Amino acid sequence: MNADLELLGQRYLDGSVDAEGMSRLNAMLAADADTRRRFAEVLNVDSALATQAMGWRAEPTATLRLRATARGRTGWATAFIGAAAACIAFAIWIFSSRDFARVENVAGIQDLAPGSHLRGERRELQGGTLALVTAHGARVVIEAPAVFQFESAQRLRLMRGRLSAEVPPAAKGFTVVTPSGVAVDLGTRFGVDVPAAGDAEVHVFAGEVIALASHDRRSLRTGDAVAMTTAGHAARQTRSAAFIQSDEVTDLTAGLAAGQRARSAAALAQLRNDAALIALLDFETGGGTGAFRTVQGRWPGSHAPEFVEVGDHLKLDLGGEHSWPRLTLAAWVRLDRLDAPYQSLLHTDGWAASNPGQVHWMVNRFSTMRLALKGNTLAAGSPEPDSFPDSRTPVLPEVGRWVHLAVIYDSEARTTRFFLNGRFDSESREATAHPARLGPAQIGNWNRTDRKLSGRVDEMLILGRAMTDAEIRALFEAGNPYR
Amino acid sequence: MSPAETKLHCRFLRLFTTHEESVRAFVRRLVPTRADADDVMQEVSIVLWKKFGSFHEGADFRAWAFGVARFEVLGWLRDKGRDRLVLDEGVALKIAQEAEVLEPALSRQREALERCLVRVPEPQRSLLMRAYQPEARIQEVAAASGRSVPGFYQWLHRMRKTLLDCIHATLAREASP
Repeated sequence: MNADLELLGQRYLDGSVDAEGMSRLNAMLAADADTRRRFAEVLNVDSALATQAMGWRAEPTATLRLRATARGRTGWATAFIGAAAACIAFAIWIFSSRDFARVENVAGIQDLAPGSHLRGERRELQGGTLALVTAHGARVVIEAPAVFQFESAQRLRLMRGRLSAEVPPAAKGFTVVTPSGVAVDLGTRFGVDVPAAGDAEVHVFAGEVIALASHDRRSLRTGDAVAMTTAGHAARQTRSAAFIQSDEVTDLTAGLAAGQRARSAAALAQLRNDAALIALLDFETGGGTGAFRTVQGRWPGSHAPEFVEVGDHLKLDLGGEHSWPRLTLAAWVRLDRLDAPYQSLLHTDGWAASNPGQVHWMVNRFSTMRLALKGNTLAAGSPEPDSFPDSRTPVLPEVGRWVHLAVIYDSEARTTRFFLNGRFDSESREATAHPARLGPAQIGNWNRTDRKLSGRVDEMLILGRAMTDAEIRALFEAGNPYR
Repeated sequence: MSPAETKLHCRFLRLFTTHEESVRAFVRRLVPTRADADDVMQEVSIVLWKKFGSFHEGADFRAWAFGVARFEVLGWLRDKGRDRLVLDEGVALKIAQEAEVLEPALSRQREALERCLVRVPEPQRSLLMRAYQPEARIQEVAAASGRSVPGFYQWLHRMRKTLLDCIHATLAREASP
């Protein structure tokens, strides 16, 4: 923009332009389309800034200040009141206050109570999960850490976080805008994941969604998933269970209300003093090398590693010099899918005859638990199909929920006892039972590509003694995030 | 209220909320201040609802709303132009006509603003947001920032310019593979 035009434009916006200046500005704008375009762009920035400012709050941690009705809105809200009975409440809701959505339920979010309304303000959730209903009836669940902002009842900007949406016909066209692309729902259910680093993903659970990334438009159907990248779309595996939906929020809320988080912390504190403790991983202090995403654990704002891609893993060293005659392994796990034949919970590196007793703990192709120790053999007549100790009850119904998995190994009693959600499941008997050996290991992977874990692991306990059935039960009950 | 009217009203609300931001920005480009844009927008909303019966389902709501808004803005300019300095009708008409073609680009620019805004460091970002509050008094915001009013306007102007440069750069970067 040339200097004169720039100055005149500035004065026009400030209200300080004089008559002579205004007529020069008008003349310049009349003469040249390019000048008009640049002028329009500056005013367009002004509009966009005003939109952003509507959602801005001075104190990011302060509770929501309900903004005064925007200038001049009340008048024409009343104009609508005479319009249509069924729509009146709806109209007032949208127009008198510009509420785009109503909070239905929260788990672990302090400054948003159920029933409160969301407008165009920018929201940051450090921890917790939020269930809401838009003015058009779309049900949306957002899991922290998340940053989002409604632009209208039909348009939600998600800068970070994980969202699932259930979109009824009335809200068809509900749109989620992410930094790397846009998802437009054409009805039913989908999820959007905007990780801290990397491209946003769209997962279609049912129905159809249009994904727009970098001028690439793609129609996604049930079971499709893509990452929206600057170069267009890249196919992904659908992980519908990785998205929290509204029924789970209800259970999480009840768990928090019942004081489960404090119970869990107390149980962990007690375990840390256990003389036989080898490792208690709560993933809170960072640490742990490998390839994984850090997402929310069972509690609002807590952390858990999430394994998504083949080869994602978390490395640890559990000290190879010891042998453990008795060993208890327990973990809170959230499985997203069970497509890989083996899902690694804890795999020590290698599988060598020279290292008898080394431990491989996994979910197997029957979706039951397996604890394999190198060199061990099952007692004659054991029913396990692969000649390894396996549990009986599949974890399949628990996909998409936090589940507690535990196993107790006793080389002297020659037994392996499995527990699912605190309940004893089954016992395998061994003919040969070496003391357990640990050492360098991975969670979520082994040194082969067929051990992919799809999901999150919160808390993992590795204890050098055999817990009792009652202890396992108590461990589950104290750590259960649901009620 | 008949079920047909209820249905019509719901349909209107759906379309209006979807396109409101574009229409508001359209109006804003043609009048001197944001407060003026709010006044015009209030009229535009009422006219859109009154005339919605003649809007054909499946037609382009945004184009239709731009047409209604253009008519309202031109009336407003004619009215206010007697005692205020505003755009010439001919200029406004040209900008309004060009909006049809430019709107996709302008809409992308409005979206990109947010990505640029997060890169504005504090306390500048807060100051900018405070100045853009609907009920903001520029004198107060300027005083709070330790600037004179003209100095503050100058600063606002520089910020808008910087943001627009950032928007262009961001969109250019995102467009290249």
